[in-house]
Amino acid sequence: MSEADITALTAAQVPTGHGRVQRRTAWSRIFADSFRYFDPRREIRQPVMFVVWVFFVFLAVVTVYPRIFPDVVATYDPVYYFALTVILFLTLWFAHLSEAIAEARGRAQAESLREIRSGLTARKIGADGASTMVPAESLRIGDQVLVESNETLPLDGDVVEGAALIDESMMTGESAAQVRESGGDRTSVLGGTKVVQGRILVRITANPGHSFLDRLIGLVEGASRERTPNELALGVLLASLTLALLIVIMTFSDFAGLTGIVTINIATMLALFVALMPTTIGALLPAIGISGINRVAKANVIAKSGVAVEAAGDLDVLILDKTGTITVGSRLATQFYASPGVSEPELLTAALLSSSLDTTPEGRSIVRLAGRRGGNAPRLEPGTYTVMPFTAERRMSGISLKDGTEIYKGSIDSMEKYGAVMPPELRDKAREAAREGMTPLVIAQNHRVLGLVALKDVIKPGIRDRIHELKTMGIRTIMCTGDNRITAAAIARESGVDEFIAEAKPEIKLTIIEREKALGHLVAMSGDGSNDAPALAKADVGLAMNSGTSAAKEAGNMVDLDNDPTKLIEVVSIGKQLLITRGALTTFTITNDVAKYFAVLPAIFLTASGVAIAGIAPLNILGLANPALAVLSTLFFNAIVIPMLIPLALFGVRFRPMSAIDLLRRNLVIYGGGGLVSAFVGIKLIYLLFAWASGTPFVMHLAAIVAHLLPLGGL
Amino acid sequence: MAFNLSSIVDIAILFALVLLFAPSLGSYLARVYTNRPVFGDRLWNPVEGFLYRLFGIDPRHSMRFTEYALALLLLGAALVVWIYAMMTLQSYLPWNPGALSGFSWDLAFHTAASFATNTDFTHFTSESQLSVGGAILGLQIALFLSPAMGLAVIAAFVRGFTSRDGTLGNFYVDITRSVTRVLLPIAFVGAIVLVLLDLPQTFVSFVTAHGIGGASQTIYLGPVASWTSIELLGSNGGGWYAANAANALANPSGLSSLFETALMLLIPVSVPFMFGRMVRRPSESYPYIATILIVLFVALGLFIYFQDAGSTLVNSLPGISPAVNGYPVGQQAQYTLTESSAFNIVSIYANVGAQSAALGSLTSGAQMVLFFGMFTQSTPGGVGTGFGGLLIFAMVGVFLAGLMVGRTPEYLGKKVGTGQMKWSAAVLISHPAIILVPTLIAVVLGFASSAVGPLSSSLAANAHQFTILLYEFTSEAANNGSSMGPINDGTLFFNLIGGAIMLIGRFFPMLAMLAIGSLFAQQDYIPESTGTLKTTSLTFTLYLALLVVIVSGLLFLPVLALGPLAQGGW
Repeated sequence: MSEADITALTAAQVPTGHGRVQRRTAWSRIFADSFRYFDPRREIRQPVMFVVWVFFVFLAVVTVYPRIFPDVVATYDPVYYFALTVILFLTLWFAHLSEAIAEARGRAQAESLREIRSGLTARKIGADGASTMVPAESLRIGDQVLVESNETLPLDGDVVEGAALIDESMMTGESAAQVRESGGDRTSVLGGTKVVQGRILVRITANPGHSFLDRLIGLVEGASRERTPNELALGVLLASLTLALLIVIMTFSDFAGLTGIVTINIATMLALFVALMPTTIGALLPAIGISGINRVAKANVIAKSGVAVEAAGDLDVLILDKTGTITVGSRLATQFYASPGVSEPELLTAALLSSSLDTTPEGRSIVRLAGRRGGNAPRLEPGTYTVMPFTAERRMSGISLKDGTEIYKGSIDSMEKYGAVMPPELRDKAREAAREGMTPLVIAQNHRVLGLVALKDVIKPGIRDRIHELKTMGIRTIMCTGDNRITAAAIARESGVDEFIAEAKPEIKLTIIEREKALGHLVAMSGDGSNDAPALAKADVGLAMNSGTSAAKEAGNMVDLDNDPTKLIEVVSIGKQLLITRGALTTFTITNDVAKYFAVLPAIFLTASGVAIAGIAPLNILGLANPALAVLSTLFFNAIVIPMLIPLALFGVRFRPMSAIDLLRRNLVIYGGGGLVSAFVGIKLIYLLFAWASGTPFVMHLAAIVAHLLPLGGL
Repeated sequence: MAFNLSSIVDIAILFALVLLFAPSLGSYLARVYTNRPVFGDRLWNPVEGFLYRLFGIDPRHSMRFTEYALALLLLGAALVVWIYAMMTLQSYLPWNPGALSGFSWDLAFHTAASFATNTDFTHFTSESQLSVGGAILGLQIALFLSPAMGLAVIAAFVRGFTSRDGTLGNFYVDITRSVTRVLLPIAFVGAIVLVLLDLPQTFVSFVTAHGIGGASQTIYLGPVASWTSIELLGSNGGGWYAANAANALANPSGLSSLFETALMLLIPVSVPFMFGRMVRRPSESYPYIATILIVLFVALGLFIYFQDAGSTLVNSLPGISPAVNGYPVGQQAQYTLTESSAFNIVSIYANVGAQSAALGSLTSGAQMVLFFGMFTQSTPGGVGTGFGGLLIFAMVGVFLAGLMVGRTPEYLGKKVGTGQMKWSAAVLISHPAIILVPTLIAVVLGFASSAVGPLSSSLAANAHQFTILLYEFTSEAANNGSSMGPINDGTLFFNLIGGAIMLIGRFFPMLAMLAIGSLFAQQDYIPESTGTLKTTSLTFTLYLALLVVIVSGLLFLPVLALGPLAQGGW
């Protein structure tokens, strides 16, 4: 298949698949999982929730068989114990639910991916050149397979011979078919994608189970999710807080009894302890981690590990390619300058004629701009003209009409060589345009210079804002370009990048990364070519383009399926959001505790003989008169907060780029202050609800049934 | 009656004086611990050189964590053994005109642990059990060496932020310079001022005064001024007299009370400034200074408020004679409420443990305020270790704040990772653990009732007994040394468990500080960007202060409720 064929095919927009299937969330599976997760072997992986689990089991046993603990008998109240057991159960169940929902969302993604390659076969080419049909699972790295039109690629590989159009929509959601060919930087193909047209010989680069598809599936399902250093450190902090509170509450309840000040029954003690434990953040931690990876996957980025995603939140230097990342990739016409004595319509007509048959983006942009300026040109009838295409020697292009008129456009040098004479005014204009990073092209008709059209490297819409956001987050951007200094400086100025490297060779990225890392910075870059591979491997976050070479994809720790280098910016936000969500919920949990003390402590001291101890009464700022209800509502608040925060865990807290200290202040007020206020208000409201409900006939009947089923000594 | 203008002026002058001297003393300390030339080199360098050669110490050798920690523990152990020997052999020591006998083994252990750990909790009555010889030969050396250990540890901890080769400095050099360049010169000046303020300074241990009525009274004397100076400067707190600073000879006037208060605050408030200098970012010390001042002022305000309200109530009771009226309950008559409150708050919050009031007679609210100072242990806390504790709080704060701004937490260009969290969390757990578990043991095994009396039918009385017991262990765990008394704690159980609490409460956090410093020291420096959290900002300062209060509150509110709060009347 020749280059021309491929171009033609692309232009024809070969219809491809309809993108990834989005499945409905499978609630039955989520419910099943949320109960399955009560398995202690699984529960023990989250120390905080495991402690709740142990207490739940213990309290359930005590509720049913109070007699096995002689201490319990004296204060046993079947309805109170039963209610607390139910709330502990809910606490655990809500935690499981959050994890199951997060996993289900990942699984929906994974399943549609997995379907792609069930039962794939491949035409393996043996050493003797003979081909045999084998199942994809039997292929190994280095094997060569032949893939033809309408066949699916069995595994990831490199095209070693031929070229083809490939439908990657099932992986990327991108509907236009992609060109893959041997040699160059577009050799890599993904297992599971489909050849639309062409015939390629592919060398397998990943064993079954280790392809990008497998990694993506593993990550979104959470199977291969390892805990990141930050998660571990937070885990240590939460476990320690739990242990400290365990000591505090256990000794407290003993002291209370032993000093004769007040007797605290075992259920109340457990309730107080569980309410104070960091259950909120503990319950939501897995969901936060899983949904972080899912958000990355949703952005069509395959992260090879969760660590890479978090590292993205820490980046402080971003190396960006100019072309494709900051600029749209081609230069566009932005301005016409007519020669002295030449009218603008005359110039526009010449410009239109010279470019109307020029299919390059530059040529089309000249036509568009001239049209917008009101220029018009006679219709060119077939056979009345000859196109003079751009050649390397002449370095200009144009059209020659049957009447002998020649209209050319080209660089100043080439036009002077052609014989056109530049008016000095126009020469000044040209110099000025070049200083602003534009490329002036001269338009001449029959050796007479009519004027200039200035082509400009146009920065992508919105990129300026993105770079400004990065700056606000404290991330320095370095632009790499092969352009000369003047052009590079102009683009740098316009886009707002902090630094630029002009006339850069591909190797320069590695040098910059090494330099920045030596200074202690965390560096990210994106790339696609084989010569980007060393730099991608060296960068803390290396985002490889899916269209790039296998070497580049192997070297990076993330692959962008959409081939959009600006994804780096998105990945940074996701990484930050992940950390912020954990920090915010931890703060929320801690300030919750303050309110919980004020709800439970005075209540506990009421129980002694029904009268308040004078010294403790002032603490009862919530005015909770019934101790049992106060404990129940505090514990219930503690449980209900988990499902209420599931959306926050799944979607992350809102992240807006702003300076670190503004972000801290904002999150402290929202989550710290919010934790304090919501707990006071929430506990009071639940208390009022419970107080009302406990008087209703329904609840009273229910309580009577419970009391009947669980009488002391009945079992 | 409490808040009159003059007492507010007193307090203002006190804090102004301390804050005036603290930055310069902080810079001076930074020079001392970065081994730059300082005042006194001409005198001390030859002496130190001789000592280093004698003990085979290479002063330029910078130690890693294990070496530094071992040296610290070795000196601690040596100090314990030395004091233990001196106390048991007291009868053989000179300056023992009262012919006092040696300590029992358990009391000697408690005393050794107490003075070696900067606690100076005394289970003996100094006038009747400790000779001048025992005090000077056995204990006075600890008054210098134990704060020196605190200073050495904080210097090593802070060096972790600037070091990149994993080393923390030379322990022996740090100890030596702490004594020769910091403690001795300041204590010397302090002693002279105290003599001028009418404290006795003599080797005569007691004189007997004969009253007109024929009754005689023994007035105990000794090198009170020099002892008190280092006792307060080094946050030791073991007074020459059993009544400590409530004894008129140790603290004769309002003026001496103010000066002694300043002496207690001086080094603990200077160490944050030293930190700022040593990490070459002086402004980094401001959040700590602010946190310390915020907590201190609030504590002082609450203390005075509770004392004032309680005293007004007591003084309005029938049968209270007008002579007593006007004086706050539990506090000495020779100082104003403010002077007395400032002394006691600073003494407890700086973990000195000297006291100029009968803490058990204070109002419940005031007692609660005192407890809180020993729960935080770091506002400002004892010499060196107090600020180390505040840095550990800051580690937790920086970690959570780092998460909240979406960056892997870092502080002063070093990442705060799992290792730092483990050690910090361990310190935060260990403090309630070594207070609450021993208290529980004492209650369960019945030692509590023999020490503070059996339970009665009065809830308030029981709560008061519990408060006294809790105070004993809290004071030991925080290496404070004050006592709420009356408690019969000179027994085998209290001596042994108390000694153990003090040793763990002192050396475990020290090891954690060295370990965290060492973790930082092994890291390269990460440059700052605008994404880095500014730890000098007002937001971070308030956040830090709140974190200290909330974390300490969460861990100790339940026992506070059972103890001081349940006593009522606050």
